[in-house]
Amino acid sequence: MTDVKEEAIRDEGAAPEASFVARVAAGDRSLLALIGVLVALVLANGLIDQSFLSLSQLRNTLLVTAPLALLAGGQTLCMLTGGIDLSVAMTATAAAYVTGVQSAEGPVTAILAGLLVGVAVGLVNGLAIGVFRVNPLIMTLGMSGILTGLLTVGSQTFLGGATRMSDLVLELGGGTIIGPIPWNLVVWLLLGGALVVGLRRTGLGRMIYAIGDNRVACRLAGVRVWQVETAVYTLCGLLAAVAGILIGGRSGSVDLQLAGSYLLPSVAAAVIGGTSILGGIGGYTGTILGALILVVLDTMLNLLSVDEALKQVLYGCIILVLAWVYARGTASA
Amino acid sequence: MSALASAVRPLGPTAARLGRRHAWTAAVVVFFVLLLTWNASQTRNFGAFEIQTMLASTLALAYVAMAQAVVVIGGGIDLSVGSLLVLANCLSARFMEGTSFGGSVLVALVVLVVIAALGALTGLVISVSRIPDIIVTLATSFVWGGAALFVLRTPGGGAAPEFQALVLGSGNAWWPALLCLLAPLLLVWVPLRRSRAGIAIYALGSSKDAAFLSGVDPLRTKVIAYAVSGLLCGLAGIATTAFTGGGSSQSTIAINATLTSVAAIVLGGVALSGGVGGLIGPVFAVWSLYLIPNIMLGLGVDPSYGEVVKGVVVVLVVLIGGQLRLRRSRSP
Repeated sequence: MTDVKEEAIRDEGAAPEASFVARVAAGDRSLLALIGVLVALVLANGLIDQSFLSLSQLRNTLLVTAPLALLAGGQTLCMLTGGIDLSVAMTATAAAYVTGVQSAEGPVTAILAGLLVGVAVGLVNGLAIGVFRVNPLIMTLGMSGILTGLLTVGSQTFLGGATRMSDLVLELGGGTIIGPIPWNLVVWLLLGGALVVGLRRTGLGRMIYAIGDNRVACRLAGVRVWQVETAVYTLCGLLAAVAGILIGGRSGSVDLQLAGSYLLPSVAAAVIGGTSILGGIGGYTGTILGALILVVLDTMLNLLSVDEALKQVLYGCIILVLAWVYARGTASA
Repeated sequence: MSALASAVRPLGPTAARLGRRHAWTAAVVVFFVLLLTWNASQTRNFGAFEIQTMLASTLALAYVAMAQAVVVIGGGIDLSVGSLLVLANCLSARFMEGTSFGGSVLVALVVLVVIAALGALTGLVISVSRIPDIIVTLATSFVWGGAALFVLRTPGGGAAPEFQALVLGSGNAWWPALLCLLAPLLLVWVPLRRSRAGIAIYALGSSKDAAFLSGVDPLRTKVIAYAVSGLLCGLAGIATTAFTGGGSSQSTIAINATLTSVAAIVLGGVALSGGVGGLIGPVFAVWSLYLIPNIMLGLGVDPSYGEVVKGVVVVLVVLIGGQLRLRRSRSP
C-alpha cells in the first residue's frame, strides 16, 4: 500500500521534472535562435559598413545597450510576476535629475540620492501592488504621472539649479576603462550577473517565477506574495535609477525627457527575449539578447539611412513577428 | 392595495440592480458635477463659453477613452489607441488642407473607414496569433506611429473652417461638440450593446472560456470590438484636426493619449479584467481629469501639480474600488 503511494508520488514528481527539462531545452533553443538573429544582424551591419566590426563601434553598441538592458531587467522582473512597470522611464529620469541637482554635494551623495529616489518610487509601487492589490498597469501609470508632475514643478522650485552631472557620473555613464569596454558595462555586468544568478538560484528568484505562474497557488502554499511583489518593484525602481544615472552621465545634462523614449523599448526587449507578459516564463539572459538586438537593429537602420517613419514600422513588425514565433512555440510545447 | 403591491414589487429588485450596475457611473457623474461647480464658483461669469472650451478641447480624449473602453470591456487592452489617433489626425489634416466643406466631410468619412479597418486588422491579428493584446498593440503602436510620420513629416495640414465649426462649435455654441460626442454613442454603441455582438463583447471580457463554450465566436467578437475602437480612434483624430487646425505626428501626443485613456476608463468604472462598465463613465472621467488642473489654477496652485493630483486620484480610486470589491466578494 505504501509502496503504491510512494510510487504515485514519485510519478507525480517525475512528470513536472520531465516537462521542466523539455521547457529548458525549448528555452535554450529560443535563446540559440536569438543569438542567431543577433549574429546575423551584426554580420549584416558589417557588410553594410566595414567599420561596424571595429572595436570603437563595439564600445558604442555596449554603451547604448547597458542602460536599456538595465531598464529591461527591471521590466523583466515585473513581467515574470505577471505585472508590468510603466513608470521605469520616469523613475530613471527622476533619479538622474536628483543626481544632477545634488552633484554639488559630492558625487557619492548625489548618486546615493538618485538611487534612493528609485528605491522609494519602487517601494511605493510595490506596496500598492502587493499589499493593496492595485492593478500594476494602473499603479505604475499613475506613478509615472505623479513623477512627471513633481519633476515639472520641482525643476522650477525645490529641485531648481544646475543639473550638470559630476565627473564621476560622467565617467560612469560615458567613460572607457580600456579598449572597447566602457565603464557602464561594468555596472551592467555586475547587476545583470546578479539578476541572472538571483533568478535561477535564490528562493526569491524561484518565487518570482512561481507567482507569475500561479499566484493563488503560491498564496495557498504559504508564499508571502506581497513581500515578493514589493521586493520585485523595489528592485525594478533601483535598476531604473541606475539606468537613469548612466543615461544622464552619457548625455551630460538632464532634462525631463531624458529617458522617456526608453519606456516601450524596455518592454520590447523583454518580449523579444522571450519573457511572457502573462508571467512565469522567460529570464534575464533572453532580455539581454533582446536589448542587444534592438540596439544593433537600430544601428543597422541608421547605417542604411532608413528614415524614421519606416524605422518605426519595421520596429513594430519585428516585435510582432518575434512575439508570434514565441506564441507558436509555447502553444506547441 | 394588493394589486398595487404586486405591480410595484417587480420594480424593487430592478431598481436595486440598476443601482448596483450603474453605481460607479453615478459616482463619477457626481464627482464631475462637484468639480464643475467648484470650477464654476472660481470663475467669474462661468457660462457657455467655458463649457464650449471644455467640450471642444476634451472631445478627442473622450473619443479615445471610449475606444479604450470598448476594447477593455471585451477583455483586452489597446496601447495603440493614441497612435491611431495620431495617424487619423495626420491623414485627415493632410488631405483636408485646402478642401471645401464637402471635401473635408468626404475625407473624414474615408479616414474613419481606413482607421476602423486598421482596428479590425489589429483584432484579427490578436485572435489569430493568440499573442496577448498588450504586446500586439504595443507593436502596432510603433507601426501606426511610423505610418503617421510617412503621411505628415512635419506638423502641418489643415481643414475647412466650416468643418471645424461643425465639429466643435464656435464662440458660445457648445452643443455641436456635445452632439459629435453623442453621435457615435447613440448611433454605434447603443445599438451594438443591445445586439448579439455587443453582448458577446461583454461575455468575452467576463470569461473567455465560458463565452466560447456558450457559442460566442471569439475571433468575430474581437474583430468587432477592435473595429469599433478603431472607428472611435478615427473620430478622435478628426476631432484633433478640427481642434488644432492641423496635424502633428509627434509620438508624445500618442503616448499621452493612450495613458490618459487608460486612466479615464479605470476612473470611469471599466474594470481592467474585462466585462464590466460602459462608455458614459469614461467620458465623465475625461471631463473630470480636464477640470482638475483648471481648479488648481483657480486655487493659485501651479497647474503642473495637476499631473500629480490626477495620478493620485486614479490610483486611489482603483485602490478603494478594489478594496470595496474584495470586501463585497468576501461578505456574502
